[in-house]
Amino acid sequence: MTSRLVAKCADPTLADSAQRRQLIDRSDRPVANDSHVRDRPVSTCFERTHFTARGVWRGSVEIAPVAAFVVPFGIAFGVAASAKGISPGISLFMSVAIYAGASQFAVLDLWYAPLPLATLALTVLAVNARHVLLSAALASWVLQVPLGRRLAALLLLSDANFALAMSARSRGETDAGILFGSGLIMWLMWIASTAIGALAGSLLGDLSRFGFDAVMVAYFTAVIAGQWKGRTDLLPLIAAAAVAVTGTYILPPGWHIIAGALAGGVVGVWRNG
Amino acid sequence: MVDSIHAIGAVVVLAAVTLATRLGGVWIMSYVQITPRINAFLKYMSISVLISIVATTAWTAQPRIWLAVGTAALVMVATRSLVGAMLAGTALAALARTLGL
Repeated sequence: MTSRLVAKCADPTLADSAQRRQLIDRSDRPVANDSHVRDRPVSTCFERTHFTARGVWRGSVEIAPVAAFVVPFGIAFGVAASAKGISPGISLFMSVAIYAGASQFAVLDLWYAPLPLATLALTVLAVNARHVLLSAALASWVLQVPLGRRLAALLLLSDANFALAMSARSRGETDAGILFGSGLIMWLMWIASTAIGALAGSLLGDLSRFGFDAVMVAYFTAVIAGQWKGRTDLLPLIAAAAVAVTGTYILPPGWHIIAGALAGGVVGVWRNG
Repeated sequence: MVDSIHAIGAVVVLAAVTLATRLGGVWIMSYVQITPRINAFLKYMSISVLISIVATTAWTAQPRIWLAVGTAALVMVATRSLVGAMLAGTALAALARTLGL
């Protein structure tokens, strides 16, 4: 395993030896008298990562402009949850504990008594399956920091702070704290904006009279359209939609979403894998 | 109505599932390589959940929800703004509501 990790660390952006030395000098570890390090071949891992409070602070500052964009979605989630009759306390708890926008919206679609726990869990797993890819892409980075800090860095992983961390990494950033700091700000903004939406929703009463019941479909449609890569995506989309709609007639409540997700995944691999 | 004990319990379970996806990639990477096929499957599966929800909602919904879906898709393609598309879709559905559609 170690040898594979080392090979993976051979980042082409660090090929320049002056840049490599600079990276090593910036790290907190003692690097004095390390002429042997400089003489190592380029294929060796020079991307030594660490996790410091300064990194956390840098991440927080850099994500701030991006984090502002999460506010409308947090408000929309709070409002949509309220329209489903969910109390502000519970929707706030969702944002604190789950902290994954699309899956939280998907949960609203299945939120009725008695709660279909297995269906809910599988749906959330399917929506958040892409986290596995983000997390995997960060593996060579975070596996080098101690376990506690590694967990902290991954705990608040989202699309936004992943993008920030990857771009920071490509310009030579070696502090995994940047991932945690940026995640922390995104998380706090998500919680605060959910609170605003949930309170507004509970004050306004029945939100469907304003048309806010369309928030979720409008948001999902926008996400789908945003990820659209052309005609190769058409068949997976049709498969998912057709299986899901058919499933509402023949499957137990909620399972049509999982059936649709699997159908879309399988057809996607078949056409593009 | 879902009572709060069940609601809190369910959210804890869902949070654990989500946390597992965040930690899962790093864990899996220490055992296997993510192949392009696995990559494609996970990506298409994630987006297909949203497609399934939109399709089934629209299937049984009133025309104003179709209006929201169409508007959001068009605005997204035209402007690439997620917020703009969401707001436009919601606003048009609300307008349709007040017009009695």
